[in-house]
Amino acid sequence: MQFRNIGTIFRKELKDTIRDRRTMLFAFLMPIISMPLLMMVIFKVQMAAFQKIEGARSEIVIQNVSQLPQELRDSLMTDTTFQVKTEADFAGKILMDELKQKAFQALVIVPDNFAKAIEMESPTDIEIYYDRAEEMSAVAYSKLRDVMSQYRDRIIKSRVVKRQISEDVLKPFEVQGNSVASAKKLAGKTLGGIIPYFLILTCFLGAMSPAIDLGAGEKERGTIETLMVAPATRGEFVLGKYFVIVLTSVMAGLMSLASMTAFFKYMAGDPAMKQMAELLAIQFDVQTVFLILAVVIPIAGIFAAILLSLSIFAKSAKEAQGYVGFLNIFLVLPAFVSMVPGVELNYQMALIPVVNVSLIIKNAIAGTIEWNYVITAFVSLFALAALALYFAKRWFEREEVLFRM
Amino acid sequence: MIEARELCKNFKDKKRGVVKAVDHVSFSCKAGEVYGLLGPNGAGKTTTLRILSTALKPTSGTAIINGTDVTVDSQKVRSQIGFLSGNTGLYGRLTAREMVAYFGNLYGMEKQTIRRRTDELFDLLDMKNFADSRNEKLSSGMKQKVSIVRSVLHDPPVMVFDEPTSGLDVMSSRTIVDFIKRCRDMGKCVIFSTHIMSEAMRLCDRVAIIHNGRIYSEGTVDSLLQSTGQNNLEDAFIKIVGE
Repeated sequence: MQFRNIGTIFRKELKDTIRDRRTMLFAFLMPIISMPLLMMVIFKVQMAAFQKIEGARSEIVIQNVSQLPQELRDSLMTDTTFQVKTEADFAGKILMDELKQKAFQALVIVPDNFAKAIEMESPTDIEIYYDRAEEMSAVAYSKLRDVMSQYRDRIIKSRVVKRQISEDVLKPFEVQGNSVASAKKLAGKTLGGIIPYFLILTCFLGAMSPAIDLGAGEKERGTIETLMVAPATRGEFVLGKYFVIVLTSVMAGLMSLASMTAFFKYMAGDPAMKQMAELLAIQFDVQTVFLILAVVIPIAGIFAAILLSLSIFAKSAKEAQGYVGFLNIFLVLPAFVSMVPGVELNYQMALIPVVNVSLIIKNAIAGTIEWNYVITAFVSLFALAALALYFAKRWFEREEVLFRM
Repeated sequence: MIEARELCKNFKDKKRGVVKAVDHVSFSCKAGEVYGLLGPNGAGKTTTLRILSTALKPTSGTAIINGTDVTVDSQKVRSQIGFLSGNTGLYGRLTAREMVAYFGNLYGMEKQTIRRRTDELFDLLDMKNFADSRNEKLSSGMKQKVSIVRSVLHDPPVMVFDEPTSGLDVMSSRTIVDFIKRCRDMGKCVIFSTHIMSEAMRLCDRVAIIHNGRIYSEGTVDSLLQSTGQNNLEDAFIKIVGE
């Protein structure tokens, strides 16, 4: 094993990769531009839909409206977010069917003598029908409930006052919840789930394209035979190529991290995101970045070794792409755990590659680092990366792999 | 210079079981001589040459290249050999000069030596005007010249050509044939494989008729023609192989 040869191969492959437009596009441009763009679109669409629902007027039908107490009737009629109709507007039709067919969003059925019952202080019910599967209908229901409970509170208050009892009797105590979470932790726990997933995905994408080119590409170009008779060992070729793939993978990951951070900063400045600004303000200190790098490098190493082995086995870039697409599911999907609520790092989780990286990055962003798990994950990741590299080298020494054409 | 001793190479094939691609092949080739392996596709020519150039390990038997055993020190053997085949590819995104320098580095050459040899050879093959263009932009003839320079940059005493003219046009083939003659004149030991009989007649000092992994007959072209009573190599080949 000569370092000079590894260096020669590394420099050549790096130059070749940098000049490859497809690789540059897949590994760098796409993650940097597409991820924030994608998230922006999702954010905007959701905000727009949210505003549409909140701002829309709810059409409701009140059956037996004459039985509503005057005060409640007035507050419903004067509320501009409601458009109130009565059963007279749907003469000859079955109201329940009309509701199901979205002719209106909620149906209030006022029982006979409702106003009287309230006046007499005897318990009574009022029924609201709505379609829980329809967002607009659910919104109408919740608004109706709000109006009704406010009215009910007023009644309770007046009844208490009438009996010359202090209002305070209704409030034995108030519960005041105060969160002690720092903004960093809050941001980490919410957005911390998304970042690891994208980061691991971009690491994979960053390794994918050069791995295909440096393995199967040699067969496709007909250069592999020339390489095999050049006086460098198979191990030197593996290492030279391997380090280029690890480098592009880590670079892709870091660049996507930078672009996501910048994107969140930008979104935090958007007036529409005012309430979320605190959550979006992710701060990366030196320790966080080091910790992220420390887990990203070995996972890039694992990706690179597996991808290079598959790629050199494939007869063509197309075949390699097929394998890689399949592999994508197994390698990147586990990163989703960071988005699953309630999944926490423990010793078992710390041993599973990808899952551990995902959870450690999430915790690092939140500033809740548990070193015992981090060290367990390090050991597991580096051992696996070394193992994968060893197998890649052995794989490269097999004639039936290299000359499978 | 080259001495193949009882070379055997078996491959495992799913349908056919164990295939003897090379079956007890022995021959030798001296410096300043062109030795031809003549046979149809699938005869075992490429496998034999790959064993000689250490890309494949023989199942049994061995070969000595310029005094070094291929099964003992493959690294040393590789530095003694220049290898060229008809479908040798280039790295499209590198320039001719970068491509050649990469291999020069792998062969352990010094920077100045690489530069001097590259300039010499680019001059000789009239390649100055595309030396710094990317390989993907070159014509097939130009590409072939880049491959030639790559194969001979480290001035190896042994040259291995595996079907060097297959798939090339007339002009490119001519360049290769001239190059092979030049190698011989420079005193290199040249081994080359082909299925084109006329090429073998023109170039080879001695030929081996190879079929189904075995050498059927060996000698100068004239002696093969005489022993079979034929007046061209193609008829002689058919007679020797007996089909």
